[in-house]
Amino acid sequence: MGELTLGVFSSLVGSMSLDFSFKIAEAAIAKGHKVNMWLSGNAVMMAKKGQKAFKDYSHNEKLMKELMGKGMEITVCEACAEARGYHKEDVPEGMKRASMDWYLAKTVKTDKLLHIGGE
Amino acid sequence: MKLAIFLSDWRRTEDSFERMKAEKMGVILVGNGVYHAVVKENGKDSPVLSKAGASFYVLSDDLTTRGYTAANVNSKVKVVSYGDIVDLIMNDYEKSAWI
Repeated sequence: MGELTLGVFSSLVGSMSLDFSFKIAEAAIAKGHKVNMWLSGNAVMMAKKGQKAFKDYSHNEKLMKELMGKGMEITVCEACAEARGYHKEDVPEGMKRASMDWYLAKTVKTDKLLHIGGE
Repeated sequence: MKLAIFLSDWRRTEDSFERMKAEKMGVILVGNGVYHAVVKENGKDSPVLSKAGASFYVLSDDLTTRGYTAANVNSKVKVVSYGDIVDLIMNDYEKSAWI
């Protein structure tokens, strides 16, 4: 089995590519692959505590936590978060914040990389 | 290089798309990119499907979300699941690009 790293730059609400990111991660984990996810740009808001689920919008928090329970590593771009007023104390348990160096290192070491752009 | 290209929009991205070359190329249509697999304009297929030598795939879930079924899909395009896309990324292509 291999290691797949997803670089996710999609915005939080109403973003189809953010939904895609979690569904492809779920499918990869189901096949036994190790999945890492880098949340950057507007995607960092995916990893903020206290989000409310609305009926008519997709809400990936539950799936995200399930996938973390299955070993998915999620790291949030520290500078992108701070720029949006999202601080260290807002990070849910089990997630890390790091500089872009983390993602760059993964792009070199991982077996496969999919960089999913924003909208 | 074996390259998988993800097209997620119906907007005209052919300029960058046309410049991409690979020894083996797969084009994976997701999100609004699925319209390239099902819509004809003036009776013609999407220009995306004329990429020489490429294999074309479309995500089943994103077709269904937009009211289409496999029966609506152009015969050049294979309907795939999320699991199939994982296999394409992990086994069939060396690099992936999202445009």
